[in-house]
Amino acid sequence: MVGSALVGPALLLVIAINVLPAFYGFYLSLREVFFFGDEGFVGLDNYIALFADPFAWQAIGRSLVFTFGSLLVAVPLALVSAMGIRKLGRWGTVLLTVLLVPWAMSPIVVALLWKWILVPSPGGLVGSMFAAFGVPPKDLLTDPMLAMPTLIIVGVWRNFAFAAIILTGGLGQIPKDLYKAAAVDGLGAWETFRKITLPLLAPSLLIVISMLTISYFNEVQTIIGLTGGGPIRHTTTLGYLLYHTGFVEMDQGRGNAIAIVMFMINMLLIALYIRILGKQPGSAA
Amino acid sequence: MSLTRPNRRTALALGAASMLLPALTGIANAQDHSGTIRIWTFLSAEGQSPREVVLRALIEKFTAENPGVSVVVEAQPFQELETKFVAASAQNRAPDIIWMRDTFLDLVNQRGALANLDDELSEDFRSNALPDLYPVFAEKSVLDGSRVSLPLWPSPAQILFYRKDALAEIGLDAPPQTWEEFIPVAGKLTSGDRLGFGLPTNDNSVSAFINMMTGFGPDIFDAATGQFDITGPEAVATAEVVRQLVAIGALSPTLLNAMGDDIQDQFAAGRFAIVQAFAPRFAQYKQIAAAYDPAQLAVAPWPAFGDRPPAVLLGPYWTVGLSSKSENKGAATAFIESLYTPEASMQWAQIAGLVPDRRSVQADPFFATPEAASIRVFSDLLDAPGALTFPPKLPDITKVFPVMNTALQELIGTDEAIDAILSRAKATLGW
Repeated sequence: MVGSALVGPALLLVIAINVLPAFYGFYLSLREVFFFGDEGFVGLDNYIALFADPFAWQAIGRSLVFTFGSLLVAVPLALVSAMGIRKLGRWGTVLLTVLLVPWAMSPIVVALLWKWILVPSPGGLVGSMFAAFGVPPKDLLTDPMLAMPTLIIVGVWRNFAFAAIILTGGLGQIPKDLYKAAAVDGLGAWETFRKITLPLLAPSLLIVISMLTISYFNEVQTIIGLTGGGPIRHTTTLGYLLYHTGFVEMDQGRGNAIAIVMFMINMLLIALYIRILGKQPGSAA
Repeated sequence: MSLTRPNRRTALALGAASMLLPALTGIANAQDHSGTIRIWTFLSAEGQSPREVVLRALIEKFTAENPGVSVVVEAQPFQELETKFVAASAQNRAPDIIWMRDTFLDLVNQRGALANLDDELSEDFRSNALPDLYPVFAEKSVLDGSRVSLPLWPSPAQILFYRKDALAEIGLDAPPQTWEEFIPVAGKLTSGDRLGFGLPTNDNSVSAFINMMTGFGPDIFDAATGQFDITGPEAVATAEVVRQLVAIGALSPTLLNAMGDDIQDQFAAGRFAIVQAFAPRFAQYKQIAAAYDPAQLAVAPWPAFGDRPPAVLLGPYWTVGLSSKSENKGAATAFIESLYTPEASMQWAQIAGLVPDRRSVQADPFFATPEAASIRVFSDLLDAPGALTFPPKLPDITKVFPVMNTALQELIGTDEAIDAILSRAKATLGW
């Protein structure tokens, strides 16, 4: 009873700022709402129109490319960084603090910063570096072939240090005796990593991958600031499509339908991670 | 009729009183206003751009004359002004004054967020200032018989900025005024890292494609629906011009989703010879010029198709409205009016290089000086035979610019058939 009373205020807060808006969003997704004017109940029309739109499917595909492309780079990089930081001791902590700055920055500031770094003319850092090697300016944000990889690099730069912190903590939880025993048994570095570190790091990896998945899948501010969904929709992820539909086209009914679909995909992916990583031996640790 | 001595005295007294009356009325009016006025604009009250400097000076003057009034500028991203304003209005927390794009005026007005200025503007403003504004802009702010805003900074809006030094390299003073002649010139201007032509293709309120289409004149917009024919012969001819500009190297096939700010920054760094730009930013372009002498910056209308006059699409431009839910309409209206005094018009012109809202001030000697050369060019463009405006009610205003920008990106960056690209744009809009 006392416990419930103590949890009550926090629970009410979560209901007020998370649960109720989510239900209201679902309610709006069943209505035609344009430019803040409610035109009435339309049932599942917004969902039907969304799934009938080939660009929406492309957006889902691009969201997955951006999410998994970023995860594929960010998670190994974070793991390597975490192991390096532990080896460096105190200096590793200093380095991690510096690397964490981008994560603490506003995504829009990150976008503006990178826009200046990447500007394909004199004054842009990357442009100047290219010029030093006699390479002409590259339109990294406006070339259909380069825009998505560039976004992934920015996404990794922004988030990998956060993942490294969690993994550093996870590495600290692994008993040192296990490594001593592995050395006595004659296990090499790779085998030690594969048979001890990785399985026992599974809970931390589950947290990191889940949080980064949510972060990358829902990323929108950096995309708005860097590419505006272009060129030719090549960086129009589902998150950007939600922004564009709801806040540019002002079709708020359909925008809410996209938000609900995004929520479902997020839940699906996390359920998948729990199913895969939750079976690892370390998950019970 | 001769005046008797007492009558003369009376007349003198009346004359003196009549001279004092406006001043006394002004003081009385100033004392009437109090409270806080909130303004949403894209300009910051702390910024250093020429327009921000003028806005700050006008606010300081207004608050000095109205010591009971506090003016608070809440800067917003320019593309979100209208939507945030309508949302705020629905929640009774809208600012008193809103700056918005004219193309959104009808939509915002439909939501009941704007006050009828006919009921608020002073008699003096209505009889003296209003007739002194450019009619083409002032009339577009009247919807269904009610004045819902006042246009600010009469401007040819999206126009071409070019570097005279770049044009001089190929023996020209200005860009050609037909697309047929413009295309080879733009190709020749591409040299080294510099591109002949730069277009913003990712802004949500600007479409270079529509601007290019205006080379066919005002008839591209259907008088009844406000639509233009996306798959019609004019659109196809425009698309062919785009493809030719890419083929000749004037437009880069890898510079597809640049926004107006990107084009501005890269132009300053020397990446383009000619660009599409927002005319009121002329002074800002000069201020940030890095790779060329600012004196080499000049403006030109859009080339036309055939023997039509060069095109000048007067919009989107900024317009200032009063919130229907303002609780301080008197002070807010007084501030709005203060933006349009002859003195304010002179400041906008002299500091920010803008065409004055009040046409009468153009008699000032300043406008004959070399410093005002660009303003004279802008003024001439407003009266040019190829000048036209968007229809008062352009349909699907929240979708039409992004859709046409994507089509333009596809024309520049792919080899897909023109018909397919334009048909897809038409289908997306449902026109």
